[in-house]
Amino acid sequence: MPADFPILTTIVLLPVAGALAVLVLPRRRPELVLPVAIAASVLTLGGAGWLLWEFQTGEAGFQFVEKVTWYEPWGAGYHVGVDGISLLLVVLTAFLFPIALLASTAITDRIRQYAAAMLMLEAGILGVFVSLDLLVFFVFWEAMLVPMYFIIGIWGGSRRVYAAVKFFLYTALGSALMFAGILALAFLASDQLGRPTFDFVELLGIDLTRTAQFWLFAGFGLSFAIKVPLFPFHTWLPDAHVEAPTAGSVILAGVLLKLGAYGLLRFNLTLFPEASVGLVPVMAVLAVIGIIYGAVVAIVQSDVKRLVAYSSVSHLGFVVLGIFALTAQGLQGGVIQMVNHGLTTGALFLLVGMIYERRHTREISEFGGLGSVMPLYAGAFLFVAFASIGLPGLNGFVGEFLVLVGTYLSLPWYAVAAAFGVLLAAVYLLWAYQRMFTGPITVPANRDLPDLSFREAWVLIPMAAMILFLGIYPKPALDRIEPSVDVILQRIEQVTDYRVPEFGITEAGR
Amino acid sequence: MNQNLDFLAIGPVVAASLGVVAVLMAEVTLGLGRRVWGWLAGLALVAATALSGLQWALHRGPDAETFFSGMIVVDGFSSFAGMVVFPLAGLGLMSGWRLLASQGRRGAEFVALVLLAAAGAHLMAAGGNLIMLFIGLEVFSISLYVLAGFTRERVDADEAALKYFLLGAFASAVFLYGVALVFAATGSLDIYGPGGIADFLSSTILFKEGVLLAGVALLLVGMGFKVSAAPFHVWSPDVYQGSPTGITGFLAGSAKVAGFAVLARVLTVALGDSIADWAPAVAALAALSVVLGTLLAIAQTDLKRMLAYSSVAHAGFIMTALVAGQGGIGDMWFYVATYAVQVIAAFTVAGVVSGDAAGASPLTAYAGLGRRAPGLAAVLALMMLSMGGIPLTAGFAGKVAVFRAAVDADYLWLVILALVAAVAGLFFYLRVVVIMYMQPSEGEEPAHPGAGWGARLVLVAASAVTLAFGIAPWPLLDVVRDALPL
Repeated sequence: MPADFPILTTIVLLPVAGALAVLVLPRRRPELVLPVAIAASVLTLGGAGWLLWEFQTGEAGFQFVEKVTWYEPWGAGYHVGVDGISLLLVVLTAFLFPIALLASTAITDRIRQYAAAMLMLEAGILGVFVSLDLLVFFVFWEAMLVPMYFIIGIWGGSRRVYAAVKFFLYTALGSALMFAGILALAFLASDQLGRPTFDFVELLGIDLTRTAQFWLFAGFGLSFAIKVPLFPFHTWLPDAHVEAPTAGSVILAGVLLKLGAYGLLRFNLTLFPEASVGLVPVMAVLAVIGIIYGAVVAIVQSDVKRLVAYSSVSHLGFVVLGIFALTAQGLQGGVIQMVNHGLTTGALFLLVGMIYERRHTREISEFGGLGSVMPLYAGAFLFVAFASIGLPGLNGFVGEFLVLVGTYLSLPWYAVAAAFGVLLAAVYLLWAYQRMFTGPITVPANRDLPDLSFREAWVLIPMAAMILFLGIYPKPALDRIEPSVDVILQRIEQVTDYRVPEFGITEAGR
Repeated sequence: MNQNLDFLAIGPVVAASLGVVAVLMAEVTLGLGRRVWGWLAGLALVAATALSGLQWALHRGPDAETFFSGMIVVDGFSSFAGMVVFPLAGLGLMSGWRLLASQGRRGAEFVALVLLAAAGAHLMAAGGNLIMLFIGLEVFSISLYVLAGFTRERVDADEAALKYFLLGAFASAVFLYGVALVFAATGSLDIYGPGGIADFLSSTILFKEGVLLAGVALLLVGMGFKVSAAPFHVWSPDVYQGSPTGITGFLAGSAKVAGFAVLARVLTVALGDSIADWAPAVAALAALSVVLGTLLAIAQTDLKRMLAYSSVAHAGFIMTALVAGQGGIGDMWFYVATYAVQVIAAFTVAGVVSGDAAGASPLTAYAGLGRRAPGLAAVLALMMLSMGGIPLTAGFAGKVAVFRAAVDADYLWLVILALVAAVAGLFFYLRVVVIMYMQPSEGEEPAHPGAGWGARLVLVAASAVTLAFGIAPWPLLDVVRDALPL
């Protein structure tokens, strides 16, 4: 392939083409829908794989850049590119979608529309990760809501409409303020550059007053905080996760939540560095509250899907804490934790979906002793639970360890508090495992549940492989993240008087 | 003053008026049927649009001129308005075709009135003199009063027409009073030319502004009524709900186009120098409209009433562009033109679902529409998303345009308020989608005839416009940048 092949646009448009292809399939052949959709998403994964292969490790800037000006008077244009951070998230997205689609066989009603919505969602998410123009970013950000809204609202559980509308309105409210921020930023840019621009890279060059930075940070930050979700903006999450169909939950937890953290990292830290440094205590406190609160609430859930949903609040708290620790280790840990959480929580939702398809309940008390009838399933569950808890050797450990180390450097007490989150994760997951899988069979209906089928096994194997790989050998991922993270920290050091703490250099010794 | 008589200047209006005469003649003297009315009206509208296009080609930008002693202005502004209003009338006719077919011979009057309203609307955009604007306003409004009560048999249609007429006539009187006061303050009715209002205001310092300001306020009130901006909106839900659904879309869409054309020309050109006086008032009206319109729309259980209140909110969104003065006119055109198309499409769907002659269109009638009539539901969902301002629809591009203009004019507070209102608005737009796709139809399937060819054409055209200018708004944005007044 030639070097200037528009690979990023291609990966964003491939799922769209897949969605159109699915919609024009003959109505009488519903069995073709999922294979076609999976083929489209696998092609996208192939594109992402090529991206991973061609990516120049060690370079800090954006690669595979495409830039076109669309409308001069507004400064609107198309600008895409990836750095190490967005690269990993693009690959994660492309990796999770075929799996989520493969796990969608339980959906029979309006399957064509379902597959099309999933593929449009994939296009939207990929678009968000690769956009370097704020207007294009916002278009993808908002447009992505519509398919997710339909996925929850049409194919979801019993309270799906409530959950879908709540999800949509929460997110839309956040993005309204972000949009005001984007417009204001473009306006400030036209004051300084003589022409308006929405281009992220050009916007990095403008000077913002401290006050302007704080307001803009608040506008962008609220939108991202809702998406993450950061405590206290998390209340949409349990509803949306629980009511969404399995594939919807996998995508929601696996990728959608990362958009918020990614936004904080990409836009808030770099565009508003002074405000970011100033607001570290606020963000860190909210993150730690999220870690502890999410874990505590997860412990008392009786519905296992809700339990996993609340565990996301806790895990994403680690991500945000790592980001706002403003240390190299913290940021790297935050990014790798995004990927890890996508894998482990995605796998947990898949597992919960599988047991739900068998028993049509998710109440923990309805299970018990499943280990003896479904040994493979129980083993898979335990494996993923260990990864989620952060057992060394599995991926969760890498991210949480780096986050805690990075936080300890700059905010030691927060690290101490956050460490309890790791402990609590062991409590809620292992206790749930104990109640569901160990001991005698308590409910007769569970007596002859089938173990993992061939298809289900193949849904889980790639996830488990990645969990193991990143746990044992995270270096390839970290190598790609590191230069991009360093650029962000360097920028913060350049424009503010904040100095990134490193090992061996204490505050006093500086 | 140079009289500058040129047929082209009044060409579009003459073409539409000839269409009116021809349709009436065809029906009354020759007894020809609907098919002929349709062809004649179509011909007249195509001719009027083409003449507007010719005006656009010859007179936009620096080539703009006034004609007939300053009565008619031909500039990018008026010719663009022509290119919007006449096709809009075509869409309105197609959308209401089944309604007029059900009215027997009276249908010819329907066609004639729509053409006449379009001619009036174009005069409102092309008038260069306050009296001319008033005449256009009256031609336009009186046609609409009659159309609102077209199905005389239904009491609520009569009620709608009467309400529209009484309040509308009152608003026209207020507008006329405003014209008189502006005349008293400036000594002129002409907007352009030496001694015209703009010229007078830019060369004179008024020591006592009271009369002028009162005149401006009354003009604002009068036009605020026409575009259904809060607090002058109270007529709109009853009129929208009562009027036959086949014509409500045209009524709603064309009133916005014509009303905002007058507002834009009078405010930004005639009173362009006193922008500091009227911009805060317009901003206040805009704020009130988006908030009231959105809040009241949330409580509605009838699609037509909901769209009525949502149109109040949209009037507010469009006004956010006007606070930027001349700089916002292009953005205003983008918004109002695409909104008019969306609103016609939405009412066309309502007409198919609840019947063209019917007034009410309760939301419960839409339950399960996603299964019953996937095409109709898809179009209505698209229109709802577009009105809600979701990206990749023309509604989003329009919102970006008007908000950008307001931010440039330092009205960030208004933009934030409008954005929050837009999110609250999503609640009721989404509710329509929820009802169509996520609720089963209650009881027996409400029978409705499929969409006729006219309605189908409208829906296809409107969806194409909404999607095309949503994905790539740039061509239209380039065009409206030239749609500026002289």
